[in-house]
Amino acid sequence: MRSVTSRAVLGIVAVVLTGAPLAVALQPARFGGALVVATSSDPGTLNGGITTASPAHTVADSIYNGLVQLDAQLKPTPDLAERWTIAPDGRAYTFTLARDVRWHDGQPFTASDVKFTYEQVLLKYHARTRGGLESVLESVDAPTPTTVIFRFKRPFGAFLQRADVTEAPILPKHLYEGTDILQNPHNATPVGTGPFKFKEWTRGSQVVLVKNETYFKKGLPVLDQVIFRVLPQASLSMVALERGEVDYLDTLPPADVPRMRASKAFTILPTLAGPGGSFCINTGVFNLTHPPLDNLKVRQAIYYAINREFMVLAVLGGLGRVATAPVSAGVRWAHNASLPPYPHDVARANALLDEAGFGRGAGGVRFRLTYIAATPQIHSAEVIRDNLRDVGIDVNVVPLEFTAAQERTFVRKDFDLAFVSYCNGPDPDIGVKRMYVSSNIQPVLFSNGASYRNPRVDELFDLAAGSLDLAVRGKHYREIQEIVWRDLPYFWLVETFRDVGFNHDLRDPQYWAGNIAERAYWVKPR
Amino acid sequence: MSLLTYSVRRVVVAVPMLLSVAVLTFVLVHIAPGDPAYYLAGDGGTPAYYALIRQKFGLDRPLPEQLARYLWTVAHGDFGRSLQQGQPVLSLIITRVPATLLLVGSAFVVSAVVGVAIGALVAPRANGFADRAVLGTTALGSALPVFWTGLLLALLFSLRLGWFPVQGMMSSRGSPAGWARAVDVLHHLILPMTALAVQPLAAFSRLMRLKMLEALAEPFILTARAKGLPNARVMLQAARNAVLPVVTVIGGHAGALVTGAVLTETVFAWPGLGRLALDATLTRDYPVVMGVVVIASVGTVIINLVTDLAYAAVDPRITYA
Amino acid sequence: MHKHPTLGLEVGLVLLGIVVALAVFAGVVAPLDPLRTGAVPLQPPSPHHLLGTDELGRDLWSNIAYGARVSLLVGVLSTLLSTVTGLAAGVAAGYYGRGVDEGLMRIAEVFQIIPGMLIALLLVAFFGGRLWTLIPVIALTGWPLPARVVRSEILSLREREFVLGARALGGRDVHIMWRHLLPNAFPPVLIGLPMQVGRAILLEAGLSFLGLGDPGAASWGKLLQSAQEYMREAWWLALFPGAALTATVLALYLVAEGLHARTGPVLQ
Repeated sequence: MRSVTSRAVLGIVAVVLTGAPLAVALQPARFGGALVVATSSDPGTLNGGITTASPAHTVADSIYNGLVQLDAQLKPTPDLAERWTIAPDGRAYTFTLARDVRWHDGQPFTASDVKFTYEQVLLKYHARTRGGLESVLESVDAPTPTTVIFRFKRPFGAFLQRADVTEAPILPKHLYEGTDILQNPHNATPVGTGPFKFKEWTRGSQVVLVKNETYFKKGLPVLDQVIFRVLPQASLSMVALERGEVDYLDTLPPADVPRMRASKAFTILPTLAGPGGSFCINTGVFNLTHPPLDNLKVRQAIYYAINREFMVLAVLGGLGRVATAPVSAGVRWAHNASLPPYPHDVARANALLDEAGFGRGAGGVRFRLTYIAATPQIHSAEVIRDNLRDVGIDVNVVPLEFTAAQERTFVRKDFDLAFVSYCNGPDPDIGVKRMYVSSNIQPVLFSNGASYRNPRVDELFDLAAGSLDLAVRGKHYREIQEIVWRDLPYFWLVETFRDVGFNHDLRDPQYWAGNIAERAYWVKPR
Repeated sequence: MSLLTYSVRRVVVAVPMLLSVAVLTFVLVHIAPGDPAYYLAGDGGTPAYYALIRQKFGLDRPLPEQLARYLWTVAHGDFGRSLQQGQPVLSLIITRVPATLLLVGSAFVVSAVVGVAIGALVAPRANGFADRAVLGTTALGSALPVFWTGLLLALLFSLRLGWFPVQGMMSSRGSPAGWARAVDVLHHLILPMTALAVQPLAAFSRLMRLKMLEALAEPFILTARAKGLPNARVMLQAARNAVLPVVTVIGGHAGALVTGAVLTETVFAWPGLGRLALDATLTRDYPVVMGVVVIASVGTVIINLVTDLAYAAVDPRITYA
Repeated sequence: MHKHPTLGLEVGLVLLGIVVALAVFAGVVAPLDPLRTGAVPLQPPSPHHLLGTDELGRDLWSNIAYGARVSLLVGVLSTLLSTVTGLAAGVAAGYYGRGVDEGLMRIAEVFQIIPGMLIALLLVAFFGGRLWTLIPVIALTGWPLPARVVRSEILSLREREFVLGARALGGRDVHIMWRHLLPNAFPPVLIGLPMQVGRAILLEAGLSFLGLGDPGAASWGKLLQSAQEYMREAWWLALFPGAALTATVLALYLVAEGLHARTGPVLQ
């Protein structure tokens, strides 16, 4: 050989030539095929813009996209928006959209779809967007087909984390404009921009999605099909997972977790986020417009009467913790850790009710309350009913299917007590504000169900959203929690965790989010 | 008159009967608490949709006119739209009918054929060991609640032994076509069909046994034996006489089978009409519930008609008056 | 025939007696409150909890005992209601004939051609599933049968001498129906009562199994709903409530068959 350099170059070339194919061969092969996901309720609708319910988003989030996507740490990454800038005063967000994105029907996606979705859909029907943005958003502009600018009345820090497909899926303007959004047939035959296209929906049974061959993210998705199987019984979906009838379970029954972990055939991962939102708290709702629930002592008594430790043990199977504040302990910078606790104290509860003037009548009953229970949440209802019996409150539990229960609670407001899993979101402005602001007392699902009004709280929420400094915002949220803890419009029961379980051969499901299958693939052929 | 005229007459009589069922649902909508529009249009609609419903059903008009409009709408097969799904109720029902027909039909046939066969076979050996065994098991069988039977069957044959799938009508992966699909459906059908068939089978076999014993005690049997006819023919003759009243009972059992189907479809997540009715009840989807009631009644009337005709065709003695 | 012609009837009556005793003395034999949550969930049978506990720690034995009360209460009361209604309708139809008969029988037919479970679903959708609502709902599924039985009897009795005599003497209609017709038309209905009660019990259990019953009542059907959810962990939840239900219904069927056999072939 001539010189060291030449030898070195040849050496490197040789290594590269042999090493590269070796490296490629050593990488796990990626296979497509079908992914079968078990879900516990029929979606009800496939339009993620008009509901925050997790059964709907479990499916819909694979059909649509948001401007951003949240990674496993819940930080925003590009989705429909390639990049974005925030104005120094925090009052304008400019998004540059990806190019050559098409809807599943072939029409081009443009910024006007974003503008339309926010103005005509999200701000009217999506509880968290409506509750959070309506009072601060000034305008949405689409100056060019690939630019969207959001302008706010005040500096607004909490926008990016609510621009993902769970919080703000972008809908096709050309199919929804001028129609009755709630009755539009595409709520059942959706057309999105997402990694999977809608194929068919057999109500109560399954939804089938197929690969979007012209998805704007090159190389994705890998899977050919995603099938969502409706299996209402958790025990039977477990069996289905073990038998291979389904591949992915987004909520493992807690009793089965140790056994599944021990088995090598499955991957088990804990998460606090999901298609219904993140940092969720099972919350009891008082209808403040129905006496005697307008009496603070009555509400306090009810809170003392409930055995929340037992709820964590029996209802959640240990997968959760007692809620100690209106904001989840998981959102550390905003959670108020120094609120006076409400332990399980039956004597105190009875005393409060006596003080409030509600003595025991015939059969030891002080008064009756109607409690709307969604059938998947019936166990919590039974514990609450039993606990309230101890203090002389006779609870009439009305079991309804999930969506029907939400409609009766939020639209008809025909209840005394209700039970809702309110998800905080990574930022309280996303999922907490909508529960307490007076402007969100609306016939919209998952809004301010208690009909709580407090001008100081309204003001504080605006202040908190108007700063970009987490310390300042945290201070405001803590003050809100003090006030609300005192006023008790809700009774915060337990924070819920969940374990996701799936076949060991599946890789890269985005299990913390709604669009689980975008990057997922099999390492063995299916 | 002929069989044909009889059938036509029966069909003609059935029509006002079905309209009466619709009248029942109309009455319920109006005596239930709240605004009738709520039961027809739900809560989540826009004002424009409510206006449409009010106009269509004439909710501001006097009651007799409302009833007339309602019956007119129903007679045209228009049961409104599902409150939950927005789809026309009738098309929703039609997609579910085949699954229920398959389940109920197969259970019906199996329970009738096997039940009658057992009853006929065991009667000649009355008081023997086989007879007692059959009597005991059928007594138990006719008291078994169908959903318990289903649960136990699922527990044993699906969960423990793994011989059959736990739920559904087809497996989730892919959609095999042709024979593979039929076999897949059959595999899913076995347990729910068995669960549904157990109780009627037990009841029919007991009844058939009873009627067979009565027939065997009749004079014409002695005559036949005296004539030296072979035993098999004698038995067949007795069976033909015995089966007639049983056929009526079997036909009358159709309604109970639908009840059983609702429960069985729930245990096995079978995607049929029973599940639809239950889901609609839980979601308070009134138009769907009312639609299922009317359609199920149509089915019952048809089955009664068919049973009557079968009876009339088989028994040469009756006239079609 | 059998060596012991009334064996079935006797066995049935004994079984029924046990169930009734269980219902009446539930508080004595099962001192734990059936709806009391708080104990360790999903425990197998043990000395402390004879038949184990359910998913919220409720004692299964107590639920079985108090469940007997619910089943018998709903079964008997709804049958009573449907029988009284059916009798009134059947007597009126048989006695007055023509328009009244036509009208009443048409209404009865409507309730006969709609399958019972669907009538129940329809009514629960409109009126809810609390216990005292369920009783009339179940009664509505059962009244046409006694009505038809009574009507047939009345039609044949109507032209008998003692009735014609009473009318000739100027007796009022209601008086005739009450004193003369009803006592004679009643026995066939009586024979059918045990079957009706059995049917009503199964219907209530079925509705509770579907989740449409009263969540505040300890019902065997409701226990079986839990059983389905915890099939793998808790076999006792599936076994005992189902056995209790089967035993009760079996008892009623045996009594019904026994009565049939003793009184000869009866109308359907």
